[in-house]
Amino acid sequence: MTSLCNSEEEKLAHFMHRIETGDKIEADDWMPEEYRLTLIKLISMHGISEIMGALPEKEWVPKAPSLSRKLGIMAKVQDEMGHGQLLLRVTEDLLKPYGKNRGDLMQDLFNGDLKFHNVFHMKTTTWADAGIIGWLVDGAAIITQTNMLGASYGPYGRALQRICAEEVFHAQHGESIIMALAEGTNNQKAMIQESINYWWESLLMFFGPASKETTGSSKQDLTIKYKIRTKTNEEFRQIFFDKYIPRILSLGLTIPDSTIKFDADSKIWTYKQPDWNEFKKIIKNEGPRSQERLNLRRTSYENNAWVRDALSAVVN
Amino acid sequence: MEGVSKMTGEKTFYQEYEVFSKRTPSSTFQHQFSLLAPNEDMALILAQENFMRREPVADIWIVNRKNVRKMDAEEKMTLGRLDNKEYRTTKGYGYLKKKWRQYEQQVLDEKEILSWGGERK
Amino acid sequence: MSMTENSMSAEYKEAITSLLFQLADDDFLYAFRGSEWLGLAPHIEEDVASSSISQDSMGHAAMFYQLLEDLGAGKADDLAHLRSAQDRSNSILIERVNGEGYYMETPNYDWAYQVVRSYFYTQAKRVKMDSLCESSYRPIAEVAIKVKMELYYHKLHWETWFKQLMSSTDVAKKKMNDAITLVMNDFGDVFSFGNLKQKIESNNLLDSEEEMKKRWLASIGPVFDALQMEVPAIPNHPVMNGRNGEHTKDLDEALLTLSEVYKLDPVAVW
Ligand SMILES: [Fe+2]
Ligand SMILES: [Fe+2]
Repeated sequence: MTSLCNSEEEKLAHFMHRIETGDKIEADDWMPEEYRLTLIKLISMHGISEIMGALPEKEWVPKAPSLSRKLGIMAKVQDEMGHGQLLLRVTEDLLKPYGKNRGDLMQDLFNGDLKFHNVFHMKTTTWADAGIIGWLVDGAAIITQTNMLGASYGPYGRALQRICAEEVFHAQHGESIIMALAEGTNNQKAMIQESINYWWESLLMFFGPASKETTGSSKQDLTIKYKIRTKTNEEFRQIFFDKYIPRILSLGLTIPDSTIKFDADSKIWTYKQPDWNEFKKIIKNEGPRSQERLNLRRTSYENNAWVRDALSAVVN
Repeated sequence: MEGVSKMTGEKTFYQEYEVFSKRTPSSTFQHQFSLLAPNEDMALILAQENFMRREPVADIWIVNRKNVRKMDAEEKMTLGRLDNKEYRTTKGYGYLKKKWRQYEQQVLDEKEILSWGGERK
Repeated sequence: MSMTENSMSAEYKEAITSLLFQLADDDFLYAFRGSEWLGLAPHIEEDVASSSISQDSMGHAAMFYQLLEDLGAGKADDLAHLRSAQDRSNSILIERVNGEGYYMETPNYDWAYQVVRSYFYTQAKRVKMDSLCESSYRPIAEVAIKVKMELYYHKLHWETWFKQLMSSTDVAKKKMNDAITLVMNDFGDVFSFGNLKQKIESNNLLDSEEEMKKRWLASIGPVFDALQMEVPAIPNHPVMNGRNGEHTKDLDEALLTLSEVYKLDPVAVW
């Protein structure tokens, strides 16, 4: 462990030893290319999903139905932009050997090389959608993010520490909106049920396919091999059911899947599979709002190019 | 010029700044995170709201990352040391407690010594 | 002179109510315009930072609406969401759109306008809060002291942006100068008290319009000097005066958006 290693095999063996003994890898440390590329793929997608994910909720920021809701949702969406900031910084440091920076990540997003999570391609129709995003989409994200708090890559783990601390606020922000609607008028109740019906499939898809046979690709094996995460996509989905199905039902709402049931012996939920072909289309930017959101991001990025250009000239 | 992309050749204004802050006037500085900004003044006005929105802040330092001297893997090897340095700590003098008891006195331990800053008892 | 609610004359109450609506509506609309920018700023770190300023400002609006609620003007949320344009007292400057296009579609927002409007507005707000700290109406003085605390950051933030963009490329300088022209065209009612000028001033609620204009010019003077620029003139007679309920269609559209959900059912709990 303490010997300086020179050959590639020695470096790799030393690296794997560090990972297996719980040591944390830092940005400037030697790492195998496969590890770096796995991290870049995972964290750039996570980061850009935060930035794109701010947009559907942002639609409800100016419309939020009271002074305190306006404040709460502004702070929540601000956090999501902040998560994007943290994660893109982590990605940018990993990208150094390739000479890529944040501007390149934005271009990758615009030309379709960099994907964002399926949920953020969906449309929002009512205020209840803002509540469901905060409650269930963030809930789903919390399950995957907390699993990676101990990731072998130190900077990612530290960014996730910050993120997960804020997610506790996001979870309660979402619960608060949903609770008010669930205890409100019949119209308000109907609003949430409709919203759950609309988001359910997307929430199941969020965790990714159970195996790569489903959609032809999955990065879960590599992330587990390198101790970036410990659980599989399906395990995440099962935890989501454990945590949220009882809560949804307790509010008098229903799950839009009449087949879903829990087997007490195996502790496994069986459920109707979402349409994984639809999933493939969505993440190829062919979802209900993919192009509109990309257009919004592109417009703001290009409209403001003069600002970034101007500031590059200011030295102090 | 900093931050010229090798991929697109596009010039960007980004420089990397490390952000440090302290919670209270008496606490030590802690590293928070890094951010991209065109210059120090701009980095300074971005720091608090990006990383310390929910905690008290008494002071902020901004350091351009190019001014941070980091250790490489080989240099980090210099950080290892043996666990045989009891003579630097009170651990090596644990027997004194018993000794002083023979003279009906108490050893000057950490608790006792650090209490001398307060009122005379 | 100090006033409590029970010793308040009808005229005094009318004056303080009018002033509070001006302050509340200004901050409410300013925060609303800021919230439309959320997610669309030139740079992610800036997006996060300026959203805090929008949140602070919405918080200030909420405090002013609360003072109105305490005076029996109605529920704070109703005051913010249900009043029609002709009942609003915000300045024309604050209701103006951020640029062409709806925030959900293809907003062509102008960051130069955001910087100039925000910087000039923040300086004006500081002048008012300074003056309000001495107000004859104690509750407003207490709120002004709190609001002032957060304005140090708002001022530093927007002044840094203003100075840096004004000292950068020709493109940026041109955009900034265009924005200064637009902002100053609308600046005539920022320090106006509208039809209640005489009552607001004579009851020592805060300093006179003329006095505050002078202080505002003095507050931006050093920055303009350093940039070798002429301090812009405040128009003497606003074409439209928002303090008297005169507004543009920009405000109508803003109100439709910001009250869309609230108006679905104003008595429901949201
Ligand atoms: Fe997030
Ligand atoms: Fe979140």
